[in-house]
Amino acid sequence: MIAWSALGIEFVVSLVAAGGVVAVFALGLRLLAVGAPAEARAAAERVGADGPGAVDQAELPLTHPRPPWASLAACLCFALVIAAVLYGIYLIIPQFHQ
Amino acid sequence: MDALAIVILVVVLGLVFDFTNGFHDTANAMATSVATGALRPRVAVLISAALNLVGAFLSTEVAATVSNGIVKEGQGGIQITPVMIFAGLVGAIMWNLATWYLGLPSSSTHALFGGLIGAAIIGSGWGAVDWFNVLSKIALPALFAPLVAGTVALVATYAAYMITRRATSRGAERGFRYGQTVSASLVSLAHGTNDAQKTMGVITLTFIAAGLQKAGTGPQFWVILACALAIAAGTYSGGWRIMRTVGKRITEVTPPQGFAAETSSAATILVSSHLGFPLSTTQVTTGAIVGSGLGKKLASVRWATFGRMALAWLITVPAAALVAAVATLIVKTGAIGTVIVVVAAVAGMAAFWMLSRRHPVSHETVNVDEDVLAGRREPVSVGEPK
Repeated sequence: MIAWSALGIEFVVSLVAAGGVVAVFALGLRLLAVGAPAEARAAAERVGADGPGAVDQAELPLTHPRPPWASLAACLCFALVIAAVLYGIYLIIPQFHQ
Repeated sequence: MDALAIVILVVVLGLVFDFTNGFHDTANAMATSVATGALRPRVAVLISAALNLVGAFLSTEVAATVSNGIVKEGQGGIQITPVMIFAGLVGAIMWNLATWYLGLPSSSTHALFGGLIGAAIIGSGWGAVDWFNVLSKIALPALFAPLVAGTVALVATYAAYMITRRATSRGAERGFRYGQTVSASLVSLAHGTNDAQKTMGVITLTFIAAGLQKAGTGPQFWVILACALAIAAGTYSGGWRIMRTVGKRITEVTPPQGFAAETSSAATILVSSHLGFPLSTTQVTTGAIVGSGLGKKLASVRWATFGRMALAWLITVPAAALVAAVATLIVKTGAIGTVIVVVAAVAGMAAFWMLSRRHPVSHETVNVDEDVLAGRREPVSVGEPK
């Protein structure tokens, strides 16, 4: 028998797992950048000022210190991703789940 | 032909196959990390080799059948003889080397199955092959693997770009490079637990068939060690030709894409091996890279490259089967036939190696297009396309 339902479940679970991990990790990176020049530029663009152009964002100093809520939320995101990685290792190593 | 001689040949060819399996599949885990500069090429293959070595020791449970039900083995079916396994390995190795020379990622598992199918058809007739299992375990997964992984990676890439404002957030590029390294390592470890075990199974089942080992017992320690070392050595040797295709020629992989693609591959491989619809690692990772190209910008996938790969996937099984069938025909003529096949196989391996020296690809040139090397085109920087 061709396991169509297994394939369907597989697709949904892969999508949720990969999409979730990538989104949460990206969110963590985004939160770390709160207060960074990109933010200031985005704010400036909203009021119609010119952006700084093609400047490597990583080279610029933070214009504002990162607010504590952003640091905390970023840590939470990375903790979730680390948990997902550990679960992945658990699934790979047969000795752990037999 | 002396039975022991065939067993020794199977062991040697099994380890050669394991080695080609290693360098064929380095690209699966590491091509995107090398392409984005997350890891230096030599470091990438070292990590991948170490994890394949560890993985090989973690999972040593030998499958009950060589062909996973594709050839009707055992009760009511045919007996897979060491001669068939020998011919099957010759077919698989030749196809792996041909696709490596052309820089095409193709499934080593499918090559091995193809070789066994060819040997079984010549050895016992068309009825020896379970064609329904060929359809459900090779053909359909080959169709679904890139579709599933590609869609997952497309969504993941889109999410990564949206959340980090097209990766312009401070530190985003670097962060994605770190993340990508971890995902790629998971893919390598999963690969080691799956693929080294296949060769261990082939060698162990040959010992059992030849009466050298009791049925139902696991692989001997030296078999585990030899297989683990062979796949790790193969992985370390790099397979740069395939890595260049996967990392550079499907799409220009950027760190967010690389992270999304590798994470999607890792998730799809893990989920598929635990939910009962196993998918080929090669086809999953390639599909994920295509998906990550689509997730960024529809036009940035080079469909011609993907088309060549898809064609290679389609003909992997028949091509390996054809070589194995011819090998079986020659071996059947007796001891001289076996010697002819061994000589032809060694000559074939040497020929592909010689051919590859004419246009070598190494860890130094893995990220450079050959048009640039030949001076036909200016190098293009790897950064964000405007």
